[in-house]
Amino acid sequence: MTDSGLVSLLIPAVGGQGGGVLSEWIVEAAALDGYRAHGTSIPGVAQRTGSTTYYVELVTDRDATEDPAFSLYPVPGALDVLLAPEFLEVGRMIEAGFVSPARTTVVCSTHRLYTIHEKTATGGAIYPRERLDALARATARRLVAFDALSVARERGTEVNAVLLGALAGSGALPVGVAAFRNAIESRGVQVASNLKGFEIGLEMARAAAASSGTMSGPGANGGVSGTPPGSPDSTESLRQRRVRRDFAADLGALPDAVRGVVEHALPRLVDYQDAPYARRYLTRLRPFAAREAVGAIVARHLATWMTYEDAIRVAQAKTRASRFARIRGEMRAGDAVIEVTDYLKPDLDEIWGILPHRLVAPFARWAERRWPHGRPTLGQHVRTTTVSGYLRVWLLARLRALRPVSWRAHAEHGRIDRWLEAVERALAWDEALACEVAQLARLVKGYGDVRRRLAALFDTGLALALSAGEIEARRRAGFAVSTALTERFRTLVLEGPDGETRAAALAAAANAHVAAGDLDGLHTLVTRSAAGIG
Amino acid sequence: MGERSFAEDVKQLGYGRGQTLRGEGILAITKALLQSGVSYVGGYPGAPISHLLDVLADANESLLKPLGIYYELSGSEAAAAALLGASINYPVRGAVTWKSVVGTNVASDALSHVASAGVLGGALVVIGEDYGEGASILQERTHSSALKSSIPLLDPRNTLQSFARFVEEGFGLSEACNEPVFFSIRIRACHMRGTLACRDNVRPAISMRSPLQAPSFSLERINLPPFTYAMEAKKFEQRLPAARRYILERGLNEHRPGTEAHLGIVMQGGLWNTTVRGLHLLGLADLQGRTPVPLMILNAIHPLVPEELLGFLRGKKRVLVVEEGMPNHLERELKALAHEAKLDVEIGGKEFFSPHGEYVPALVVGGLRKFLVSANPTAQSVTAIEDRYAALTAHREVVRAALPEPVSKRPPSFCTGCPERPVFSAMKILRTQDPSVGDTHVAADIGCHTFSTQAPFNVGNSVLGYGMGLASSSAVAPLFNKRVISVMGDGGFWHNGLTNGVANAMYNRQDSVLVILDNFYTSATGQHHNPSTGTNARKEPTGMTIPQALRGVGVSWIRTVDSYDIPKMIGTLRDALTTRAKGLKVVIARGECQLERQRRLRPLQRTRVAAGETVVQPRFGVDPDVCTGDHSCMRLNGCPSLTLRESPDPLREDPIAHVDDTCVGCGVCGEVAHAAVLCPSFYQVRVIANPGRWTRLVDRLRRAVIGALAPA
Repeated sequence: MTDSGLVSLLIPAVGGQGGGVLSEWIVEAAALDGYRAHGTSIPGVAQRTGSTTYYVELVTDRDATEDPAFSLYPVPGALDVLLAPEFLEVGRMIEAGFVSPARTTVVCSTHRLYTIHEKTATGGAIYPRERLDALARATARRLVAFDALSVARERGTEVNAVLLGALAGSGALPVGVAAFRNAIESRGVQVASNLKGFEIGLEMARAAAASSGTMSGPGANGGVSGTPPGSPDSTESLRQRRVRRDFAADLGALPDAVRGVVEHALPRLVDYQDAPYARRYLTRLRPFAAREAVGAIVARHLATWMTYEDAIRVAQAKTRASRFARIRGEMRAGDAVIEVTDYLKPDLDEIWGILPHRLVAPFARWAERRWPHGRPTLGQHVRTTTVSGYLRVWLLARLRALRPVSWRAHAEHGRIDRWLEAVERALAWDEALACEVAQLARLVKGYGDVRRRLAALFDTGLALALSAGEIEARRRAGFAVSTALTERFRTLVLEGPDGETRAAALAAAANAHVAAGDLDGLHTLVTRSAAGIG
Repeated sequence: MGERSFAEDVKQLGYGRGQTLRGEGILAITKALLQSGVSYVGGYPGAPISHLLDVLADANESLLKPLGIYYELSGSEAAAAALLGASINYPVRGAVTWKSVVGTNVASDALSHVASAGVLGGALVVIGEDYGEGASILQERTHSSALKSSIPLLDPRNTLQSFARFVEEGFGLSEACNEPVFFSIRIRACHMRGTLACRDNVRPAISMRSPLQAPSFSLERINLPPFTYAMEAKKFEQRLPAARRYILERGLNEHRPGTEAHLGIVMQGGLWNTTVRGLHLLGLADLQGRTPVPLMILNAIHPLVPEELLGFLRGKKRVLVVEEGMPNHLERELKALAHEAKLDVEIGGKEFFSPHGEYVPALVVGGLRKFLVSANPTAQSVTAIEDRYAALTAHREVVRAALPEPVSKRPPSFCTGCPERPVFSAMKILRTQDPSVGDTHVAADIGCHTFSTQAPFNVGNSVLGYGMGLASSSAVAPLFNKRVISVMGDGGFWHNGLTNGVANAMYNRQDSVLVILDNFYTSATGQHHNPSTGTNARKEPTGMTIPQALRGVGVSWIRTVDSYDIPKMIGTLRDALTTRAKGLKVVIARGECQLERQRRLRPLQRTRVAAGETVVQPRFGVDPDVCTGDHSCMRLNGCPSLTLRESPDPLREDPIAHVDDTCVGCGVCGEVAHAAVLCPSFYQVRVIANPGRWTRLVDRLRRAVIGALAPA
């Protein structure tokens, strides 16, 4: 608070991030530089992974002879610096009113530690980064934002030290750079590494100040929007190029939006089975290929569905040379030896899923009645870095030749065909509805019981879309209701188990309206459901 | 013991006159106890006062023993309060501490007795007010306890120097009025960093080094009729009046006159910082809190001194009371005083702020503005106040416009690798896989494990008090069509659970299941030692175990399970819930608190790796091309290190699971996926640093064979 002779700083951290150390450095640095400063915190119960806050105040007049009445709390609208080691916490502090365009400098790391609610949805529920970005830009007087976590990891130092450097470099506090360095030294913990991090952050903030003043932006962010370590490596690209060459003619015939997806899909299908299998994919895609919107959705989901994760696929993925290279990289193993143990537990369906359909179909039908939930399983911990363990999984992957006639293939392709028929039928009515029907395939994922549960919901959704579409087709007044209904059903399922229950209830209520031919009732139901009522 | 090492703080506790202590508020309080010549200190840990007990535990050998001071980490707040019994018969000073209001509730019985009998030596209770933001407990005022037991209550201004002064005054006050005294301190004040000009520590006259020689007996100090009647009378006829005299004579409350003589603000000392900052922001005070508005800062909020308050009220038109929480004892007593004295003054309080909740700056500034604008101060025009207030709040519009929907909440949960998490994974898996057995009432308890009630587990139907899990299901169990489960931590078990829970259940022949989470420490308070840790806070061996205690009260069905062994835990829970054996079934889930374990292990492993020794570090991972991104694993686990990342497969829209580098290799994610039959995505990696020659050779051979077979 420059007008009143105080500077205030708030650190919102996630329990376990070391916000305490950060605030102690700042108080110490201020004291070493001759400023009266104090800090306080509320670690409390939130220490265990919840939100914690640390607060620091210092008097700008070094010659002040008495302490001010320090505040124990940050004051919304009167905060000078927000120093945040995580990006969502920036959003939460803005929401709480601590960031004001008139005076608050925000220095933060843009990496994310996801909350439990973001993690537990079946679909994607991550709070949109762009929204946090826009929020920070709209409300901060100055913004110094970058992914301090990836910087720290790359350079072998700590996030907090990098952020302290960025704070020093931002010039938001009157404290001199040397005092910050001295504070790190006087605390005496991991001094070398922390000083290194401090210099990196200092440099970054100074460079930002010299250019535009902010350094945020999607390009500067790692985490979810960055390149994950598991991305396709060069060998895959090579394979990709080869496949693309082989299928050049087919690809050339596709509209741009669809081709982009198919280019990724074909190598995956060839790798999964063989070139004829990829041709089968193209044949199935053909009816939709000309319609860009629905074509792109079908192309995407058809590709992932046709490469469903049976035991053979899992074995394939677990035995690649690139997998072990990736693990070594992720563990930063260096010259250490690594031993990998895989947690495998196929259930009955997955075991005979790889056997010929004709052979096991009767048993499968019986087993379904015998164990409607929780089929018997074959749990094992396989050490895939030993020769014998590797061989077991490797041999399983060799069973690929059996796949086309397997029980699982029969079941999956049957369901795929029903899906495609439904999309085709919807497309004859309305493209927007067809897109929604195509999107339902997003529900089919997971293994074992999870997959069976989600597939059953997929079936429900498909039937629902078609029967509602049927009614609207008769009325000839567009397909807004069935489109909205299908979309709502999918959204609910992707929210997680509670959403699944609500989706099932929605479907049951909708079916009653459909049976009664009550389109208005259906419309009200969808509107209410989307508004979170009922 | 404790979350940190306190070597530096222990050193500062030894400081004498002329030296300056730098540290947190709670350290200043601790130092002031030694400067007051205490003969004994005890208490039960909990935020925000754990530090007092931790640092004294570390100071026991070097500082307390030489001074002859007895120190204990008490078994419960009741035991701590009973410690004050020493001051009833003997002129010894002593202090105890706990988290309030819950600790005060537990301590109530002993506390009432001490307050009734009265004390000869100063007895101070340092009350850590866990109220408002960051609080982990129910929200009530300790003030009401002080009133009912006639215990003076200090709530001093927030500076380290003030804390020290009021600790010392607290002992004086206690001895002047023969009552124990509450010294109340809030969370943020406990953790505020500042400086204290020290005085020398005082060696107590009566101590373990110069012990008492003969017992002191007086019927008048026995809480039995007819003496209890006399004690009651004494409280109001002698002790409280004496307290008022002391408060007045020593100037414990601060009257700060000002030029706006028709106005006044009365506040709890602990709210002084926020109040004067609020005035400052509205342009009515300087940074030090000097203001034209007359202030009455009540560092002693019970008993109030009528003549002092009337002196302040007299001649004023409008007075504002800044008092946190309900009931608003101060405001009501002030109004009553003014009424009885027939003063023409309008007294307001709660209507300007809020009837409940912590007095945070936004609330206080808003209330001060409302009061000042309506009371029309002369020195500063109303417009100036309004302008300053508008400047403080203008940005709220910008935020509202930029924020279409609320930002995600971040509830606290179990730490990475916590041994309690897998137990609730097991309970949730059992509930899902076998609802006829597992979908039952779960009585939760206080501890880190209370997080089981939060996402993603939502296991636990009630939380009712520390160690009270089992007792709280006593009436639910017989009314339920299947066996119910109660949960207790080892901390809660020793605090209250053994007697009120287990003994009560055995005595009443309850047929239910108790799960004891034994992580070797009372972790929620900061990894404090408890009877089954093996040693007490003074690091003396204890030799007490939970199974022994259970057998001692007659429990025969006891199963101990490694808490990370999820299949075994599921099986054991199923057994306990379905066995034909009647009576109490106890499952002890054992696994060391991972925070404490890592704190010990990590530095050790770093040194060993640096020294070239072979170190095996387990970690977990997820195969990104095997995970389909359904997140079932998260719903049964919730480990902070099990997180999300974008699928490397551009065809997949939803994020996939990912184990980040904070993983400690506890294996729960893999075990959960295994036990709940989720997916084959998880793998364990054992990273062997500095492997021996033989390990290297075998590794090279294996990699040669696998490399020859492996496709790219």
